[in-house]
Amino acid sequence: MGDKAKSAKPFDPMEPWRGARDVYLDAWAKTMVDMVNTEAYAQATGTMLDMYLTASTPFREAVEKAMLKTLEQLAMPSRADVVSIAERMTNIEMRLDDLDAKLDVIRGLIASAGRASRAEPVRAAPVSRKPIAKKTAKKRKK
Amino acid sequence: MAETTVMTDPVTDAVDQLKRFTKVMTTRAAIAQTPKELIWTLNKAKLYRYMPVVPKEKRHPVPLLLVFALMNRPYILDLRPGHSFVEYMVNQGYDLYLLDWGAPGPEDKNLKFDDYTLDYMPRAIRKMKAVSGSEEFSLLGWCIGAILTTIYASLRGDEGLRNLILLTAPLDFSNKQGITFARWTDERFFDVEKVLATFGNMPGEMIDYGAKALKPVENYIGNFVKLWDNLDDPRVVEAWHAMNTWVTDNVPLAGGVFRQLIVDLYRNDRLMCGELMIRGERVDVSRIKANLLTVIAEGDHITPGCQSESINGKVSSADKELFRISGGHIGIMAGSGAAKHTWPHINGWLAPRSR
Repeated sequence: MGDKAKSAKPFDPMEPWRGARDVYLDAWAKTMVDMVNTEAYAQATGTMLDMYLTASTPFREAVEKAMLKTLEQLAMPSRADVVSIAERMTNIEMRLDDLDAKLDVIRGLIASAGRASRAEPVRAAPVSRKPIAKKTAKKRKK
Repeated sequence: MAETTVMTDPVTDAVDQLKRFTKVMTTRAAIAQTPKELIWTLNKAKLYRYMPVVPKEKRHPVPLLLVFALMNRPYILDLRPGHSFVEYMVNQGYDLYLLDWGAPGPEDKNLKFDDYTLDYMPRAIRKMKAVSGSEEFSLLGWCIGAILTTIYASLRGDEGLRNLILLTAPLDFSNKQGITFARWTDERFFDVEKVLATFGNMPGEMIDYGAKALKPVENYIGNFVKLWDNLDDPRVVEAWHAMNTWVTDNVPLAGGVFRQLIVDLYRNDRLMCGELMIRGERVDVSRIKANLLTVIAEGDHITPGCQSESINGKVSSADKELFRISGGHIGIMAGSGAAKHTWPHINGWLAPRSR
């Protein structure tokens, strides 16, 4: 019984239909691939896109003009203003990135100088300790 | 032995299937889960470093930077745990970085290949070098990412590029009859300037339509039929769900890049002819000296093999290999066979060259 239950396969009345469907889809897929590879298809899609763009342009321009006037009336920034700010932000980011690169170079130089000084200890030059604190204190008194 | 037949209620089954189908279609799968840190940003671009899982002494010293296409999300490289190229490469001991271009806004409509290859990529690579501590690095470019890496390697290849991997790279546009996109974007039928004047950037939905229309029955019908037939198989459903999450997450293409892609590449094949100018510099692929692995997907309908074959003959690299593998444009890296075939081959090629 156990073996029978394991080998039991649910009856699926849709199975033959699925087989026929797959054969039909395969044939249709091949036909469509051939069709989209033709110049006629390229021309048809190009024409449709062109018609859409031509038809939508006057409406789009009208909406843009109306929106611009509305935003001006409301003293709010237009899309062009926001785009301009975004472009300036990118420029600032680039300058910051340049600074970051220079900092990396300086950090590398300091690290290599530190390694070199540890490898070859040089006698430190005598440092004259000027009484800076006293001088400033005198200046303040004056 | 005759099989026992068990009658089921087709109506109840169909309702259950419909519920599962709707759930998969209306939710997003958990994707891109390999741990990573953000180490650099510029405008919309982000550079991630994946957390190494292999001890430093066992890791490959040469870091690897992944550069994906501009008009799709790069998490296809890290689709889901257990089925992720990123996860696989991190486990193989690579110091791995991913450049995510982000989605361009209206302010980015003038971005061109020039900006991506001479501003964004060198800066991201500089940061990667600083973080990894290595002056040499490897680049992996996929699809449009392969165009970017090829241009970068031609112009700035002497700045530490040791290994270059090009996956399904659309570089050679000379065979117009073999490239469906070339036919669709022919200047007799397709007005680039009119499209860009209307939209600024090329909308992601239009790019998606273009990619799907190459195989309309498979993409618009067969794909969903496959899901419906396999709703009882959680492995198939999980894979389908993750892939659908990626496929439906479209990104526009910056107007300037789209113009260059159509006019300079698809129509005039300027890259392989050595006529492509990037900020006044001629892109000469013969200047590429890095070790080169070109991967061609034999069933690729988006980038047919004829677009990638000739690059190996034009570069100056002494060490180069052309690897053909059965599968589609995305399937070779994200399909069920990728972990058995493509990823091990890339690792096998790259590992000895990353020491």
